[in-house]
Amino acid sequence: MIVLIGVSMLIFAIARVIPGDPARIALGPNATAEQVADLREKLHLNAPVVVQYGIFLRDLFHGDLGQSLYTNRAVTTDIAQFLPATLELVFVSGFMMIVLGLPLGVLSARYRGRWIDTAIRLVSLLGVSAPSFVWAVIFMLLFAFYLPIFPIAGQISDTIKLPAVTGFVMIDALIAGNLAAFFDALRHIILPAFSLALAGIGQAARLTRSSMVETYEKPFIEMARSYGFMESRIASHFALRPSLIPSLTVIGLDFAALLANAFLVEQVFAWPGLSRYGVQVILRKDLNAIVGTVLVISAMFLIVNIVVDLLIAFINPRIRLSQRPA
Amino acid sequence: MTSMAKTLAAALLAAASTITLSATQAAAGGVLRLDEVPVGELDPAKATDYADSMLMFNVYDTLVVAKQGEAGLVPDLAESWSVDGNSYTFKLRSDVKFQSGNPLTADDVVFSLKRMQAVGQGLSYLFTNVKDAVAVDPHTVRFDLKMAYSPFLAALQRLPIVDKKLVMEHLGKGDGDMKDWGQAWLSTHAAGSGAYSVVSHNPQQETVMKKNPGYFIKIPEAAPDEVHLRYGLEAATVRTQIPRGEDDITSQWLPPEVLKSLAKGGAQLLHEPGGGELYIKMNTAKAPLDDVNCRLALASAFDYGTAIKMVAITPTVSQGAPSTGAIPVGMLGALPKDRAFKHDLDAAKSYLAKCKYKPSDFTLKLSWIAEVPLEERFALLMQSNFSEIGIKSEIVKVPWALYTEQVTKVDSTPDVSQVFVNAVTGDPDTLLYGMYHSTKTATWQSSEHLSDPKVDALLEKARTENDPKAREATYVELNKLLVSLAPTIYAYDNQAVFAASNRVKVPALSDSSKEFGLPGMGFTFRLMEMTGN
Repeated sequence: MIVLIGVSMLIFAIARVIPGDPARIALGPNATAEQVADLREKLHLNAPVVVQYGIFLRDLFHGDLGQSLYTNRAVTTDIAQFLPATLELVFVSGFMMIVLGLPLGVLSARYRGRWIDTAIRLVSLLGVSAPSFVWAVIFMLLFAFYLPIFPIAGQISDTIKLPAVTGFVMIDALIAGNLAAFFDALRHIILPAFSLALAGIGQAARLTRSSMVETYEKPFIEMARSYGFMESRIASHFALRPSLIPSLTVIGLDFAALLANAFLVEQVFAWPGLSRYGVQVILRKDLNAIVGTVLVISAMFLIVNIVVDLLIAFINPRIRLSQRPA
Repeated sequence: MTSMAKTLAAALLAAASTITLSATQAAAGGVLRLDEVPVGELDPAKATDYADSMLMFNVYDTLVVAKQGEAGLVPDLAESWSVDGNSYTFKLRSDVKFQSGNPLTADDVVFSLKRMQAVGQGLSYLFTNVKDAVAVDPHTVRFDLKMAYSPFLAALQRLPIVDKKLVMEHLGKGDGDMKDWGQAWLSTHAAGSGAYSVVSHNPQQETVMKKNPGYFIKIPEAAPDEVHLRYGLEAATVRTQIPRGEDDITSQWLPPEVLKSLAKGGAQLLHEPGGGELYIKMNTAKAPLDDVNCRLALASAFDYGTAIKMVAITPTVSQGAPSTGAIPVGMLGALPKDRAFKHDLDAAKSYLAKCKYKPSDFTLKLSWIAEVPLEERFALLMQSNFSEIGIKSEIVKVPWALYTEQVTKVDSTPDVSQVFVNAVTGDPDTLLYGMYHSTKTATWQSSEHLSDPKVDALLEKARTENDPKAREATYVELNKLLVSLAPTIYAYDNQAVFAASNRVKVPALSDSSKEFGLPGMGFTFRLMEMTGN
């Protein structure tokens, strides 16, 4: 809570430093000076920043983040509508980071120095070094334009009508029992999610590899080998678990960062998510929406970090046990 | 085969079937897909930009609309009108129903005007001269103006009539009897009588509309059954979607290279002429451009031909046409085509010789709006053109938000800035009054800071003149005066160009005899034809 209040104060102040009059931007180029003055008054923009922050806090405790000047709707309505799309994208990206990044790291460590190791390290390096939006455009060209396997934009084909229950399109498709819609949504999410996940996959693979290589040098691995355990069992039972801790920590941080980094990928694939909304509201100096979006992303960041800490404590008994009272 | 292999094969089969399914869906007839800027405003009282206008013209109706193929207005919801001094009386059609089923009456017209004035956003400034609106009887409405204001009829094209009964049922939080005037509800719902009703609206994604079967004019069968207006697609995305048949008409905001490449791939090019220009504004209140000869030197040195070539899509279609003055060709008061500006270095040098400032004594700041990358090219062109007569300049990139603040003071206004301006009602008043009247200075539109009594007098005269011929003569005189004062370089008449698939025919954007003289009106969906290709 303290962190969130700190973030809200910071972003409240920073948003007001962005050049431009929010009322003028919101009303458009044709608005008269009187219209601009009226809106400034309505938005309390003539009051001192401290007073504005007080009004913001008072409304926040009533669950009201104010009106967005970008969409002309309540910021809470916008967040409720756009957050599920971003979360869906981030969850699938995070899933890809785990199911692709960790096994690639294990394979790379297991076959250290062989061609498979070199290939995985090269792919990981490419993933880490190029930003996600570059991959987004490349994948779009390759797999949507030249080789039309995947759709280019949106969450689902516009001819499919789904009732919005959770806002997560794939889940809504399953709830509706519409498998065609589910697979259609899956096809739509693969390219954006993979573009977004690629850096994390590369990072997880590299970290898992280096941790496992280090673990393979440990005496208990030698001992396991001397007992005659198969290499696959040694990798999965003895080498992987201690090597997972740094990888999971990084995946956790990457996962939270995906929320904020998704905006360019959302832009390229016209994904109607919160990150894209966040960029648009910053460009329009939509003060209420900026503060609301940043607060939600910060809250998600905190939640993910807490979950990762708990997960690491669960995996690593030394951390779990050290926290118990003597 | 192992169970793992069977699962994989089943998954591949499922994926293949969905690919085929989607391909079939993409080719379904009767669905029109378009894209526009990042957000579409559904509340007609707040509509300002192109996407908002597209929504407004299809979901709502107005008392009058622009004539096709020529200047002037024709009745729409009105059957006829009469003017008596400063009062305008309209007889309404009696066969119009809103999409809700409620009949459209004079009360709805009065409510729509009052709502627009109360909300005070969008284009409500067009109606500040209206003193009152009165429902004389259920099918007669009268507007009383505070003073003579001849652009009023044209302004009515921007007064969409909303369903009073429906809006009153959905008032949100707010003070007074009218609370929020239905703003919260109308930002996601429609209350119009238009040819298309709103199925869903996500301001960041798309608005889905479908034909209104109860529309008071018969909608042709070939008109799209469903329309998906999508927002904020990237140029690269649109470039890929058009050849795949996943988008039918692009926005006009694509870079010329993308439009060129789409045309090369077989897309048709649609265009909507007139309505505005690229105005290169000079700060007339600050040295050295407070000297008219210096301004005329710059206006003569500018290479108009190259500017138009820079926005050409094909040898015959361009985003710009030669400009003849402050009013675009085709609009009331425009100067004839043979008076198009030319790059004339001799004239430029001769004007510069008469200027009281020496080129060696100043460096001009040429600004361009950061959100419009195209303007950087014009800034570079100007820098090159001005250097030919010995004028030094530096190019400054300014975000729009900062620009709107800079222009509020003479000293912080750049020496030269560029803005695309369109007449929102198709009338020259909405283009020029806010740009050049001395009471309207210090806005993004009037960064020239011009203060000239003759210009003011002509602008006021044209506003109060009801006789169209006399009005035209006044605008021609004003136009010539502005050319001689050169507060602005009239770079080119702006033409909106759109790339489109061959699944759709849009006569209003391809046939000059069917064009409307109002930006956005060409996207009247009921006048489009889906070819089924």
